[in-house]
Amino acid sequence: MTNTASTRALTAAELTIATPEGVLFRLPLAGPASRLYAMLLDVAIVLGTVNGIGLLVYWMFAKAPGFGVMVITLAEFAIGFAYGALLEGFWNGQTIGKRLFHLRVIDQSGLPLRIEQAWVRNLMRVFDALPFAYLVAGISVLSSPVAQRFGDRVAGTLVVRQTPLALPGEEFWTRQKYNSFIEYPTIAMRLRRAATPELASLIQDALRRRNELAPYARREIYRELAKYLQSEISPFPDELVERLSDEQYLINASGILFGDQRPSRGKG
Amino acid sequence: MILDLERFQAQAGPRWRDLESLLAVLESRPDRRVNPPEAEQLQELYAQVAADLNRVTHGALAPELRQYLERLVARAYAELYYAPPMRSEVWQPRRWLRIFTAFPETFRRNARYFALAVLITLLGCAFGGLAVRYDPASVDVLLPADYLRNPGQRVHEEEQGQGRRLDSAQTEAAFSAQLIRHNIQVALLAAALGVTFGIGTALLLFENGVLLGAVAVHYTQQGFGLFLTAWLLPHGAFEIPSILIAGQAGFYLARQLLRRREDRNSRQSMREWLVLVAGLAMMLVWAGLMEAFFSQHHAPVLPYDFKVAVAAAELVLLAIYLLMIGRREISAESRSFVPSENR
Repeated sequence: MTNTASTRALTAAELTIATPEGVLFRLPLAGPASRLYAMLLDVAIVLGTVNGIGLLVYWMFAKAPGFGVMVITLAEFAIGFAYGALLEGFWNGQTIGKRLFHLRVIDQSGLPLRIEQAWVRNLMRVFDALPFAYLVAGISVLSSPVAQRFGDRVAGTLVVRQTPLALPGEEFWTRQKYNSFIEYPTIAMRLRRAATPELASLIQDALRRRNELAPYARREIYRELAKYLQSEISPFPDELVERLSDEQYLINASGILFGDQRPSRGKG
Repeated sequence: MILDLERFQAQAGPRWRDLESLLAVLESRPDRRVNPPEAEQLQELYAQVAADLNRVTHGALAPELRQYLERLVARAYAELYYAPPMRSEVWQPRRWLRIFTAFPETFRRNARYFALAVLITLLGCAFGGLAVRYDPASVDVLLPADYLRNPGQRVHEEEQGQGRRLDSAQTEAAFSAQLIRHNIQVALLAAALGVTFGIGTALLLFENGVLLGAVAVHYTQQGFGLFLTAWLLPHGAFEIPSILIAGQAGFYLARQLLRRREDRNSRQSMREWLVLVAGLAMMLVWAGLMEAFFSQHHAPVLPYDFKVAVAAAELVLLAIYLLMIGRREISAESRSFVPSENR
């Protein structure tokens, strides 16, 4: 239980930024796992590129293999650092791996990172990669409140998650013809006040994924959620609840939570 | 729960989509330039959407809508407040060539960190040298296996050309690349270890000094002082100073990290660090070439006096470069070589 709680806290890490105009917004931070995958992909790309160049160089220097080795050794070394630094510097904080995993490096003030920051954080890899498999970086990320490896700490950068978001559409359960919970405005108000955003989105998610869940799992999840709401948050009268399925209960609750404001509409 | 989400979304939705399409246009522009009418529109939409975000945050329970608006505001904020570097600046070769003067200038500006690196290395040298001098058995502990061989035998082998496989320019070239790569890696590590508040940098420099002192005393004791000087100094003239400069960069970084947050000028300090690292990397390229192509040739081919003279000339040139090139007066406002502008 503690385990899941801590992972959740970790993946849900976010940075709150206050703009000069007094607007607060949050940026979701990237977890260590997705950063690791992105890095592995980048490493594969670099290795592929270097090997491709290597073949070319061997062919060009066929008469002078020693110089070929020299060019390849130095090119490999330079590309290892320059790949990340140049791509992040000129491609708004993204390498190919980061782009595929929806990650972006930014300045810790929320602005795009600058070229020298990209170089510093990539050169610092020699320390972050110690003693093997980026162990130092991993420890740094896990111990930092904003998931920075040492290179990020020195360069003043962060890695944020940027999954594409669309404007949320109209949800079917907010357009129900009749919501019986509206008959009890006091209890409905209590539900709105007491429900945390996490709980609300949990209910919303459970409803949205209705068709992805196995029937048994769905029944159990809906039953537990409805029971929890009914006993802990907003006890609607028993005679009403008895007539509703758990799913209908949640649809009604969700309607209350997400904007159904017009008590007279259903009746009229 | 004051906000009627449905009506709100219907009302404000168009301007969200306007901002979204404006941002898409701006972000796809490689130079990230904004013309005045766009800037005005961006400013206006940003203010409106930020206000919408505030209303959703405080007046409704709509985590998804809030996330969507936050993302939009974050993107607009970044576009509005970030002044990208001028494209012409980034690609001007003359600005990049300024590294050659910026390096000695930066070196002189931070000379006290260099002095600290020299001091620690000298302490290491003294430790290693004295240990070998007064306790010859410590050679086994202090020196890696490569140097453990009897200096007399090693010198003989080197002079006969047995100890090396470097029989052609080809292998020398490959060898030089490995040396350059290895040396830059070690130097970069010394510079990066500044993040351990300089402790790691100091340990690395000290260890390097111990090795240097022990080898020097060990060979000199047995009467191979000239051979050693001629063997190590032609590349050491650049290699040892560049490791010291790496230490300088490490201590400089440590000092910056120890400053209070509000006293830091992180942009300036990052540039100084990068200039030092770039400079020492250039020095190590030269050192690697010298080590592979020049240092490994011994007495019958190259007289030792000639090798030592070359090394001395290198040292003098390096000293002149580091101490004389670039602006004489040390001003804090001096421009740095990395061209980029912000705010």
